[in-house]
Amino acid sequence: MTTPTDLRPGTKECGCPDDTGGMSRRAFLAGATATGALAGLTSVGLSTRLAFASAPYTGDVLVVLSLRGGMDGLNVVVPHGDNDYLTQRPTIGIPTNALLNLDGMFGLHPAMVKLMPWWNDGRLGFVHAVGQDSPSRSHFDAMAEMERAAPGSGLRTGWLDRTLGLRAPGTAFQGCQIGSGMPADMFTGPSPELAMWSVDDFQLSGADNSAERARWSAALSALHDGAPHSLTAPVTTTMDALATTDALKTAGYVPDITDPNLAYPDTDLGKALTDVARLIKAGPQVGLQVAAVDYGDWDMHADMGLGNQPDTGWLPDHLAEFSGALAAFATDLGSKLADVTVITLTEFGRRVEENGSNGVDHGHGQAVLLLGGGVHGGHVHGVWPTLAPGALDDGDLKATTDYRALLAEILEKRCGASGVSQVFPGLGTERLGVVAQRT
Amino acid sequence: MDQDPRRQAEGVSSVHQPHSRDEIGRSPAAPAPSRRQLFRAVGVLAAVGAGTGLVEAVESAPAEAAAGGGPLLAIDPDLHLLRRATYGPTPASLAELKRLGRQNWLDQQLNPGTIDDTACHQLVNKRFPRLLWSIDHARRHYAPDITYDMMRWLGGATVTRAVWSKRQLFEVMVEFWSNHLNITNFSGPTWNTRHDYDRVVIRQHALGRFEDMLWASANHPAMMAYLNNDESTKVEPNENYGRELLELHTVGVDGGYTEADMHQSALIMTGFGIDPATDGFQYTAGNHYVGPVSVMGFSDPNGNADGHAVGQAYLSYLANHRSTAVHIATKLCLRFVSDTPSVTLVNQLADVYQNNQTDVVPVLQALFDSAEFAGSVGKKVRRPYEDLVAATRILGYQPDKAGNEGLMDLYWVANAMGQLPLAWPQPNGYPDEAVAWQSASGTLQRWNTHRALASHWWPHKLRRPNPRTWLPKRLPRTHGAVIDALAKRMVFRTLTPAHRGAILEFLGHRAGDPVTRSSGIVNDRLPHVVALILDAPYHALR
Repeated sequence: MTTPTDLRPGTKECGCPDDTGGMSRRAFLAGATATGALAGLTSVGLSTRLAFASAPYTGDVLVVLSLRGGMDGLNVVVPHGDNDYLTQRPTIGIPTNALLNLDGMFGLHPAMVKLMPWWNDGRLGFVHAVGQDSPSRSHFDAMAEMERAAPGSGLRTGWLDRTLGLRAPGTAFQGCQIGSGMPADMFTGPSPELAMWSVDDFQLSGADNSAERARWSAALSALHDGAPHSLTAPVTTTMDALATTDALKTAGYVPDITDPNLAYPDTDLGKALTDVARLIKAGPQVGLQVAAVDYGDWDMHADMGLGNQPDTGWLPDHLAEFSGALAAFATDLGSKLADVTVITLTEFGRRVEENGSNGVDHGHGQAVLLLGGGVHGGHVHGVWPTLAPGALDDGDLKATTDYRALLAEILEKRCGASGVSQVFPGLGTERLGVVAQRT
Repeated sequence: MDQDPRRQAEGVSSVHQPHSRDEIGRSPAAPAPSRRQLFRAVGVLAAVGAGTGLVEAVESAPAEAAAGGGPLLAIDPDLHLLRRATYGPTPASLAELKRLGRQNWLDQQLNPGTIDDTACHQLVNKRFPRLLWSIDHARRHYAPDITYDMMRWLGGATVTRAVWSKRQLFEVMVEFWSNHLNITNFSGPTWNTRHDYDRVVIRQHALGRFEDMLWASANHPAMMAYLNNDESTKVEPNENYGRELLELHTVGVDGGYTEADMHQSALIMTGFGIDPATDGFQYTAGNHYVGPVSVMGFSDPNGNADGHAVGQAYLSYLANHRSTAVHIATKLCLRFVSDTPSVTLVNQLADVYQNNQTDVVPVLQALFDSAEFAGSVGKKVRRPYEDLVAATRILGYQPDKAGNEGLMDLYWVANAMGQLPLAWPQPNGYPDEAVAWQSASGTLQRWNTHRALASHWWPHKLRRPNPRTWLPKRLPRTHGAVIDALAKRMVFRTLTPAHRGAILEFLGHRAGDPVTRSSGIVNDRLPHVVALILDAPYHALR
């Protein structure tokens, strides 16, 4: 599908009269909060499930941050060494002297300063000029294709579903969408995942104390005695998950962060990453293997911030929150970061040339952030295609690295996957070397 | 976590789901264990059902039936038909069916024009008036902007009809075809055409000939935009529509076509597109590929620049193809019979489909007449949306007094449960097998929804009857008797002793404990007991 016009709820500046109502999610969130309701169902498109491993999972926890709306990688990991950058972006382009220097070619947006310690110690890296086969500049289509991750194939499942399908059965928390009641399309398919607004919200609504929760749980279990397997299987998983979240709630959670400057921001992203860290630190009994978190609102067609005032505006504010949350997450994890790989994905980058509204329109090639103990950090990976007019892809940064090659490398080297060709059919064997082999 | 019962039962290490969505067009070979279960189930009723078409009524009593939930659902053919052919029985719909008799009731449902549905019709028109707008009207009204409002309202109207329309089988079939010829209701380029598609393609032909529906879909701008056929030209064919036409709409992925067929399919359909001035359908001869074409035994010299007629002949050929017949018969069986229908039934229904020029009504008649249908009590698990609609119906909810806020809230509850109607993001529609709907979050959401509805927490703008009306006017005297009465009211049978005991345990009472007007079970705990009954398999299965 191609959507010539952007209409996905939650994206701005797309010709929608406003972005209040669609907001299926927002509107529904209000309702969900009112009822204490929360999680969505695995929206599964059946497909052939893959042959799976039998050994328990021992790889990294993979955290996928979906930067929905199309993050402008060119103003995040800025190619200041490319002369065409400021030529194409005279108003919004960030001058070299304002950037956090990464290497002679690239500089980081100054709003991301909180992440520099991890760059300096080699656990934070970037990949530039990453993209997907789909030429679409439509949010809807590009996201759908990116999460299906099987261009040229008829597969209708998501890549995380296929990834989990290769593994031995795990706990209910094996694959989690955190901070949303609905799993992302990456999870579409037969492998179950858990979607929750938060750990604390995953509960029977109206059961406000542990005695009441126990009363409901006992009744619900007993009411499924003698039910067919198609009902008892999910009920057992649900009961286990409720017992787990109940125990987590009882235990409480205090992030392991002493420096108040590095505290989690009090935002949806901050809360979601707090829960991811909480689940990771709870260890194998919770059994988190893959966490997906959305952080949207990157669709900056207008007023993203001026280059000569890089500390105020939409993009700087957004990057500051994002970096603050990630820095808190990495701090909170401490030594556990050795067993975690974080990757950001956005459906497309943005146009090289700025528009007349101090913004940038939809483009193609994007920048990817990698954070984790196994990341070959302190380096901007990838092949720079340059911003020379003749090197562009329809006015946009060309993609020289298939994002699936990054995911495949992480799955192979950090997550013990064999058979990534089943996850990413048709993907070649070329890898950039962005992570170390897990030992 | 592996939750595929078949895999666990069979102990195989390779998980190849026998009825995965991608394979649905294949001739439907049911796995052996399910066949055995099936025949066991059929055995129970075969004697009753033999030769009489629809089986005769049997006592509404729990009886041993198929694995797959049999003992938990009463083998009452009236209730069975209502659980499958409607969005869930209500006391009123059961009385109506009993008054008419099953065959007459089914005849009416298959001729929905004979059912007076004025109240629901007016309700929808009043609460969602813009759905009556033409494509061009919507375009002009919102220009230069576009909006998702029309799509949201279509969703709200869809849920409204599912709950309150008397033409229940029609609404079930609207959902069936909407998924079969899916156009994701929230896809940008169909913002002002999707509601029209619902009206003139799906509803117009939901109980008609599939050939007509397929042709209507090919002549609708929503389908042309959704699958990019509006961009497909003889110079640069876009194969999206040509491919899905074969893979999803007609013969199915294993229907026997080749890649070459698929390319030809796209070429035949070049020219079908959109008029950019009005957003309506337009055939553009200048885009049409001219020259001989052939697909799966269909061939045409295709010599005219105007290929509209060739397209019609091609779609007629596909609609009547044996593989299409098997594909659609399989999906109807998945909807109405079980997740593992027999090859025999599928082939029988495919024959009926072909012998009746793709008319779905005789197919449905044969399906509901079959012994396999009669023996399939409790073999389907309600999907989240079906669970929601059935719960709203059985609790006796009524629409908001005015406006559509409560109706829209109900629609968003379906989103929370993971099955927003019409919104499946891929062209293949929501899966229709239990194995696809087994997540812990979904299960929890189902339970929380029952609690919210029974307690009237949400959607609070909808009107819930006084919970006391769920009980007989003369209050039962004991806790056990109250539970029995509520179970009969909500799931049309008493609970098994173990399940009844679980609710008594929940209440901290014994069956014989007396009930007074101030007892918890008929006050604050009343909605809780009702929620638990709806959480249990009696409501989860159909």
